[in-house]
Amino acid sequence: MNLHATPILKSLACAAVLGFALTGCTNTGTTTGGSGGGSETPEGTQQSVASAEGPTCSIEDYGAEKIDLKDAVVGFSQSEKEDNPFRIAETQSIKDEAEKLGVKKLITTNAQSTLSKQISDIQDMISQGAQALIVAPLNSDGLEPALQAARDKNIPVITIDRKVNATACEDYVTFLGSNFVEQGKRAADQLIEGTGGEAKVAILLGSSGNAVTTDRTKGFKDQVAAEAPGIEIVAEQTGDFARDKGQSVTEQLLQANPDITAIYAENDEMGLGAQAAIVAAGKTPGEDIQIYSIDGTRNAVEQITAGSYNGVIESNPRFGPLAFQTLVDFMDGKPVGQDIIIADSEYDPSNAAERVNSAY
Amino acid sequence: MSTVTSAVRLPQKGSALVFLQRYGVYLAIALLLLFNLFFTPNFMTIDNFRVQFIQVVPVLIVALGMALVIGTEGIDLSVGAVMALSAAVIPLYIGYGPLPAAILAVLAGCLIGLANGTMIALIGVQPIVATLSLMVAGRGIALLVADEQLKSVIDPGFLALGRGTIAGVPYSVLLALILVGLVAVLVNRTTFGKQLVSIGGSRRAAELAGLPVKRVLITIYILAAALASIAGIIQTARLSASVPSTVGNLIELSAITAVVIGGTPLSGGQVKVLGTVAGALLLQLIAASLIKHNVPDAYSQITQAVIILLAVYLQRGKAVLK
Repeated sequence: MNLHATPILKSLACAAVLGFALTGCTNTGTTTGGSGGGSETPEGTQQSVASAEGPTCSIEDYGAEKIDLKDAVVGFSQSEKEDNPFRIAETQSIKDEAEKLGVKKLITTNAQSTLSKQISDIQDMISQGAQALIVAPLNSDGLEPALQAARDKNIPVITIDRKVNATACEDYVTFLGSNFVEQGKRAADQLIEGTGGEAKVAILLGSSGNAVTTDRTKGFKDQVAAEAPGIEIVAEQTGDFARDKGQSVTEQLLQANPDITAIYAENDEMGLGAQAAIVAAGKTPGEDIQIYSIDGTRNAVEQITAGSYNGVIESNPRFGPLAFQTLVDFMDGKPVGQDIIIADSEYDPSNAAERVNSAY
Repeated sequence: MSTVTSAVRLPQKGSALVFLQRYGVYLAIALLLLFNLFFTPNFMTIDNFRVQFIQVVPVLIVALGMALVIGTEGIDLSVGAVMALSAAVIPLYIGYGPLPAAILAVLAGCLIGLANGTMIALIGVQPIVATLSLMVAGRGIALLVADEQLKSVIDPGFLALGRGTIAGVPYSVLLALILVGLVAVLVNRTTFGKQLVSIGGSRRAAELAGLPVKRVLITIYILAAALASIAGIIQTARLSASVPSTVGNLIELSAITAVVIGGTPLSGGQVKVLGTVAGALLLQLIAASLIKHNVPDAYSQITQAVIILLAVYLQRGKAVLK
């Protein structure tokens, strides 16, 4: 063995060099890439406002300086790594819209899911001369130093998709985003309709301690309790918004409760994991066990068209047009809503084939 | 007189402890199986055990490499990042076929092992520091390679690794069994295995005895990375998607726990291959039992922490006895 160790090591090293050399000749074959990266936004996918009632905020109220976006530097702070379709589509949408409007310069940063990095990202963008900021907050709390830095220079901040615990029109201008409780409620409605109000349901929760998880769970459970006494929730376990965890947890749940007839997953990735688990258990997804989830990713919507997935409530990530429209209105001196809730659409077997191109 | 009584008492006290250390993990598995037999519906079915074995494979394979590393008194925190890198490489080369893609994925992972081994053996960086740096950097590289995106993998030959079976036994489980056998032979039947254990026992003594310490250490870290890469490949096949951001997250903790529960001391000098297998199975059974009984996430985390504490406490007893 002594004598053999050296050649083994050498061959490994050679192979490693070979590996490097080969990176130039990738061959992805039949693999399909993540679908969110496409730069063209299909028709009819633009966000629309569901409700913008309540107090408004104008440029005088906030005390910002009027600027023309065509000469302005705008900063966008993304919160999470762009390895999930939602984040990819969100950033792409902001970039596309900035280009379309002819914004002089758009600085984009990604906090890689680290709060301290998002704070320094925002501070950096301010020191690079950002005159308006669009922020996708990582957390509801903790961004105060960054918001304060923007406030000190009277830079307007528009927050998207997650709401921060701060005062609108004072610490930031406005919030644009979905109503997560409503999403859960609508998923419940789809499930009630699809199962005829009789089902044994397992819930795949999102990450523990996340406001999105709490809201999507509350909306779903309240609606089921109110509308469908025949639906029993037999299990609820976290799948951490991840496909692999969704798959392994569903495998366990199906073993322990073979009578489960429907799955509610709080995002598409876990739903797709559950689908794989159902197949592995020898059952037919979409028929023996129905699957409902929230997000509207292309992968999940395509499964509806294939008949092995039952419903998806959209959480529209394309904030670009609405965020910049809000910014333009704000700069024009029009009052903008402090709480702009966007309208999310939904996919079911009746519309999935026709609308799959609007999935992200 | 007093010496006699203490001589009588010590082995008794010691033997109970030794028994727990040596067989505690098997006892725990037996108890859990018994519990589930009575309190978990549909537990004692072939399908259920197939699910448990399929799910345990990635942790088990990573734990095998971890056992080797811990045997040298080292630690490898970068295994999750290695899994992510190998997962990220797969979709890039799957066009050449499943096997070339898998080989390249393992090679990419081995590069991280080589970096670990070089830092530890040649430069003298502490294992926990060296592998921590690659735990962070490795996942970054993986995300770069993958263009930070999830990619579906649909090559049927490759997916068979995650789904195919021979006589009801999944390929992945079969592969894991083969790897267990190979590692067991490596540890117990080869000079290399003896060298590994002596380095763990005392690196200084091994050096003085003229053993090729540096070479063995580098090889061990490369082996650990190769095993982690295989785990990454299996996980990718099972998910039918390469998800470098989440694959292998926190798996280093499960792997270390499996190794320690299995009776390999963190202080090195011993490698218990069968114990490691049992340790991984125990963790899997605990997770399964908690999910099947719909225990909320917070309580599952606490339960798992208590079990890990208990295992480490028993290990501490072993160090005292030694």
